[in-house]
Amino acid sequence: MDQWNKELSDLFSGYRNSMPDRDPSATFMPELWRKIELRRSLVVRLRNLTRVFVAAAAAICLVFGMLAVLPVSHRGEMNETYLDVLADAHPPDNLADIGIIHEATDPGNR
Amino acid sequence: MLVEFEQIQKAQAGDDAAFNQVVVAYRKRILGTIGRLIGRPEDVEDVAQEVFLRLYYSLDQLRTPEVFEPWLYRLTVNASYDYLRKQRRRNESRMSDLSEQQVMMADAAAGGRVSGEEQRQKQVKELVESLLSEVSEQDRILLTLKEVEGLSLKELEKIYAVNENALKVRLFRARQRVLNAYEATKRAAGRSRPEKD
Repeated sequence: MDQWNKELSDLFSGYRNSMPDRDPSATFMPELWRKIELRRSLVVRLRNLTRVFVAAAAAICLVFGMLAVLPVSHRGEMNETYLDVLADAHPPDNLADIGIIHEATDPGNR
Repeated sequence: MLVEFEQIQKAQAGDDAAFNQVVVAYRKRILGTIGRLIGRPEDVEDVAQEVFLRLYYSLDQLRTPEVFEPWLYRLTVNASYDYLRKQRRRNESRMSDLSEQQVMMADAAAGGRVSGEEQRQKQVKELVESLLSEVSEQDRILLTLKEVEGLSLKELEKIYAVNENALKVRLFRARQRVLNAYEATKRAAGRSRPEKD
């Protein structure tokens, strides 16, 4: 077992020697900065997109808010009762068409 | 430290020229370490650029310049681990050929058929990489940092942010697994070698 252990340690140090530290290629630094810039522009684009979304959401909220408020102001004008609305929909002249005879209220006609 | 603390502080403050100098100072060492961690020379620069990219965008999280090197090693370990994990997924279909390949390499290494130092180094490299492929990516990296890079337990403790005893146990188990694989490979190589008259 000790022999295997020693052989394995030798293998590891041989591996270290077979792969020494290496110099970077000429394109290493330009490529690194290109990647940094790419991510930076992506972050900026995302930030701008987020701003647009926030502004759009605020505008939509405002529109919906106004729509919710406006009908309330009209509700004050609706002060007629259900019977008034029915009477408006069916004027006395047309009642005969649906089988209802309108009696005159004049006492002299009785 | 390969650079002055002030240089790191300047880079932290957003000085690109200072960051450039930090990269220039460390790139050779990081390239070497990544090469030994992942074992694929053609992808070393990509992984190293990923390390420095992560460094650039996380440098503001570094509390003190004193812990810069363990921090950089941690980024190196994480980027190498991500690479190896992706690589393993890609290579899963080819894993069935590995045992035969191992036998051939061990046979060549043990059979004394080496022709020159370069050839021997190539065989050692291939054998170690095939042995390391027997353990998980995490154990491979940990073992390489200890056995190949020669980092001390104290240094590993800073990189992994775990206590020394836990590291010792993990290292022992990983080494045992590699040792078992080595023994099995040697035995298989011994069996496959034709006996001399």
